[in-house]
Amino acid sequence: MTDDIQVWVKVAAFIGGGMAMGFGALGAAIGEGYTAAKANEAIARNPQISGDLFKTMLIGQAIAESASIFALVIAMILLFTDFAAESYVMVSVLLAAGLSMGLGAIGSGVGSGFPAGEACTGIARQPAMNGRLTTNMLIGSAVCQTPAIFALVTSFILLFTNFSDRPVSPTWAAILGAGFASGFGAIGSGLGGGLVAQASCEGIARQPLSATPVTNVMLLGQAVTQTTAIYGLLISFILMFKGFAPSQSIAESMALLGAGLCMGIGAIGPGIGEGFTAQSAVKWISRNQSATASLTRSMLVGQAVAESTGIYALVISLVLIFVI
Amino acid sequence: MTKTTGMEQIRKTQKKYCSLAITFAIFAGIIFFLFDLKPIGKGLIFGTIFSIINFILMGETLPMKIGISRNKAAVFSFLSILLRYALLAIPLVSSIKLERFNIGATVCGLFMVQLVILADEMLHQFYFSTRKKKYSKKLLWKN
Repeated sequence: MTDDIQVWVKVAAFIGGGMAMGFGALGAAIGEGYTAAKANEAIARNPQISGDLFKTMLIGQAIAESASIFALVIAMILLFTDFAAESYVMVSVLLAAGLSMGLGAIGSGVGSGFPAGEACTGIARQPAMNGRLTTNMLIGSAVCQTPAIFALVTSFILLFTNFSDRPVSPTWAAILGAGFASGFGAIGSGLGGGLVAQASCEGIARQPLSATPVTNVMLLGQAVTQTTAIYGLLISFILMFKGFAPSQSIAESMALLGAGLCMGIGAIGPGIGEGFTAQSAVKWISRNQSATASLTRSMLVGQAVAESTGIYALVISLVLIFVI
Repeated sequence: MTKTTGMEQIRKTQKKYCSLAITFAIFAGIIFFLFDLKPIGKGLIFGTIFSIINFILMGETLPMKIGISRNKAAVFSFLSILLRYALLAIPLVSSIKLERFNIGATVCGLFMVQLVILADEMLHQFYFSTRKKKYSKKLLWKN
């Protein structure tokens, strides 16, 4: 019996490691590719400052790569650590850790490529703004990494908490649900945050005097965009830390798995939608600073409405965990 | 001409951030050594060294991807990423297997270059910058 568990734990660690790095590489590669494509365009537009453009591209790609390095860390831990094989719950834990990190890195990887690419275009068009654009790009890209950091935290908690004293059923489903909630939940916020940061880089290059309000509204917009990832993290924490009574019924396990899936998938759309809203607000603030207050208000209202579907997902997840 | 200028700029950037990263790692490492937290100090320095190698390789391979066919560039980029990730795996596997390196500190070390880039830019922007005066004079949007 112990041998069986040991085999399955190893299998889960290998699959989890593969999923962490496989999904994790996806977003960063797209983000870095996008940055390089925009850098090429910028060099063609203004070859005299190719040195500055190379530098911005290099820094932007280094930051965009962070999400996939998080995934690499989790993959290596999964592949090279000897995990205790005390319970079948461990199988679920290792799969969830890989899923959470792999899926969670997609949005941040792609998202942080957007500001890096736009900063290259902006520097080519407005070379005097090089410093401010690089800083804004770095702030925007760094904030884009937050959802991936949430996913990393979930993966670390899963890997370093002992769940073996919990009943196999329904804990296996709760743990897997936690991985889905945190992983899928980070995709939309990462992408949305990237869209906002992209618009701010474009805005600063177009109208340098609007740099301060543009950066401030970008941060506000990105903060609101992150909320759905926070819902994912919240559901994931509830699923990991709420003790569930032993149950032989498959329905209860499926309710917990469904809760994680509901919150995770339900957070993708609002994250991207809120990103579109803030992207547009930031874009137009740079062109018409006098309308900053109205645009900020309209952005927040728009984001609140876009967020409502994420709240529905949160409510249904809570019902699945606590009521059914 | 353009390529040389680009390469010089990349090397200058690499030199700046890599020397800052290793200086900070060594300084922090010495503090950990003094407090008898050797695995943390060693892990931090170990991870930082590989973070620097990754950053240097990233910059060195950039110009090689320019001026070749699209297929060759795709294959070259894939091989470059494979090599860099294999290199980053070395400190991670070593710290998982060897007790003399702390895994958490090694992971922090792997992000040292990124952390230094962020910290440097923030400090310059918010405390030392005089750029505001400069850019308000010339606003030229190149279409």
